[in-house]
Amino acid sequence: MVENSPSPLPERAIYGFVLFLGSQFGFLLYLVWAYIPESWLHSVGLTYWPQKYWALALPIYLLVALTVSLVVLFGVNMINTAPLFSVDNITDHFAKSQRLDTGEDGAIPRLRDVSITEVNHHFYLSQHELQDLRNRGPKISDLH
Amino acid sequence: MAEEGEFTNINGQPISLDCQNHTPFCREFTVSSPKVSLRKVMVYTCSVWLVAYAVFFVTENTTVLSSAIIVTLAGMMLHIHFVKVDQETLLIIGSLGVQLSSLYASGRESTTFIEMNKIKDIVINEAIYMHSIIYYLCILIKDSSEPDGVASVVPLFQSSKPRLNCLVQVYKSCQEIIAQSR
Repeated sequence: MVENSPSPLPERAIYGFVLFLGSQFGFLLYLVWAYIPESWLHSVGLTYWPQKYWALALPIYLLVALTVSLVVLFGVNMINTAPLFSVDNITDHFAKSQRLDTGEDGAIPRLRDVSITEVNHHFYLSQHELQDLRNRGPKISDLH
Repeated sequence: MAEEGEFTNINGQPISLDCQNHTPFCREFTVSSPKVSLRKVMVYTCSVWLVAYAVFFVTENTTVLSSAIIVTLAGMMLHIHFVKVDQETLLIIGSLGVQLSSLYASGRESTTFIEMNKIKDIVINEAIYMHSIIYYLCILIKDSSEPDGVASVVPLFQSSKPRLNCLVQVYKSCQEIIAQSR
């Protein structure tokens, strides 16, 4: 199997040269069509060209489309971002259906998605506060 | 009985947090946004009326002026009644539930209550909001079909959007109450 690598190869040189020649020829053809008057072209015998209006219209359409697509791309990204009240910010179906494997003692635990409650305990509560919470337990009944 | 003082929201504007411990099982957190500033109102009104006068100067049509006045007044009234939030309050009563209320600048108050047996947890989550990632406090609602699932998420303090230091204080306080009522 051939490894994919970005190094120069003879085939790539040929593709590049063909593209170069093609783009230079295309540009020259565009200039000929845009600048040379219709009468001269007709006298040579080349009669079947698109209207010269398009020599101006196509580049303008292209640039406007490019600018609008920049704004639209930003908008599409914002639409696809989950809103703050969506459950997708907390979990998804891969995390819900993961296997809980306690594993052997001393072994590295399996890679898994940690629940947001546990993450919060680790980040925002110190060991002391965590112990306090665990020991507190249900105390409401003490009032009665 | 404790005034926690000055914090800032995610845009850098100052907000203030007020924590009240009514009883060992009942705590109330109030986040106050800065009031409507007179300077902003004057700048906005003057610029709208200058633009309207310029349009009147060009078109010689007097309805432009009166419509600009009406639009400005109506816009300001709608803004303070529906958009501008003065205070957001979280009242947590162990074993009973959580009450969220928003006080708007016009005096209108909108309140929601969530029962304690529907609440799975109150957590600080990070999410993408517009062009940045923010921390926000949210209530996870239990799923009736799955024992460990989350049915929905209720974000808190949406209009004032405090930063992490303020959220951690509220989080620790709420966790104490929730741990008692489990």
